[in-house]
Amino acid sequence: MAFLLLAVGTAAQAQYRSDLQFNVNYNVNIPSGSFRNFISNPAWKGFTAGLAYPVTSQLRVGLSVGYNDYYQKYPRQVYSEGAGSDVSAVLSNSVQQIPLLATADYTLLKKGIIRPYVGAGAGVNFVSFDQYLGEFDNPQSSAHFALRGEAGILIPLSSYSATAIRIGGSYNYAPYNRDGISRLDNWGIHAGVSIPIR
Amino acid sequence: MNGTIIRLTVGALLGVTLFGSCKKDPANNLTNDESRIYITNHDTTANFSSYSTFSIADSVAVIQDNQFAGRQKNGFDSLAIDAVTQLMQQRGYQKVGAKDNPNLAIDVSRIYNTSTGVFSYGDYWDYYGGYWDPYYWGYPGYGYYDPFAVGVYTIQTGALEIDLLDLKNATANGNKLKAIWTGMARGEQVFNTANVSNEVTALFEQSAYLKK
Repeated sequence: MAFLLLAVGTAAQAQYRSDLQFNVNYNVNIPSGSFRNFISNPAWKGFTAGLAYPVTSQLRVGLSVGYNDYYQKYPRQVYSEGAGSDVSAVLSNSVQQIPLLATADYTLLKKGIIRPYVGAGAGVNFVSFDQYLGEFDNPQSSAHFALRGEAGILIPLSSYSATAIRIGGSYNYAPYNRDGISRLDNWGIHAGVSIPIR
Repeated sequence: MNGTIIRLTVGALLGVTLFGSCKKDPANNLTNDESRIYITNHDTTANFSSYSTFSIADSVAVIQDNQFAGRQKNGFDSLAIDAVTQLMQQRGYQKVGAKDNPNLAIDVSRIYNTSTGVFSYGDYWDYYGGYWDPYYWGYPGYGYYDPFAVGVYTIQTGALEIDLLDLKNATANGNKLKAIWTGMARGEQVFNTANVSNEVTALFEQSAYLKK
């Protein structure tokens, strides 16, 4: 899909020339839906970075990679492990998501000091899930489909600058279907910069 | 521009790697007490109120990498035996000597495993007769029932193991000493004398059915 989007961008390049953009954002992501049954704490350590290729003056397509680290510790509790078997433990859940997505962004206004945009992405979500009973863990790694929808604003540093501050929010659809967890969906907020590459 | 793209791509990948290395390590965010887990298993067909007396071994078996390394009684072992005795009496069972025909026998073991991997509880029981000869309980020639499997976890430290064996029904059980309850404590400083009372208490507290 990424190659298709880049091919479309290359074809359109003859009609419109602009700068390739490098985006880097700090992210905070908040689990939603059934994911909250395992971790409800926000992921404070997260970022996305990507390249966006201009198709038109308002549409850009590209690639994005991200990282989010979720963690939550639950107080000691007795868990039944089957007939006659019980385990008392402090339980810790640790999830890392690395989404690698093909993206498309559309800027709603060509001019102005605040330019709203909407975007979408689709690709692969690399997931590391590790559940600890006390200090004993059971790590699992896998790859899954992922979708992202986002909206936000671009604030150019000046009327003549292609560099802009980028602020927005996103919803990340992340099917999982392993370890008793069906989805790792989350809401995200981000702040970063969009820098032209000449 | 190609050079810039390559540098940015490498930078993004390095960023992922650096963030990954900054992952919060759950194991490092635990106190020693929180690191420990307590596992109990019991025979769901056993009627624990049908037993009246118990006898407990006066030393513990030390098992190193599934090999019997001898019977010992250090400060920790004494405290463990005392704690188990006290809790059994609180649950209504009477302590008697090993030769006084007890209904239940209690073995305490220290298990060490220096390798990392999946712990097979079955390995421990394969040689149980070598650690605790049924002759010790006055049942020469008898064998043991292999008990239910304990959950499988990665072993990083030693484990305190307590086993309750059914002597009352040994003959009815086909000349086998059947384990009707096992308790295991694992984690950081599991053999610290300051922790032994809490460890044994935790195992009993999650076994409310274990009473006269």
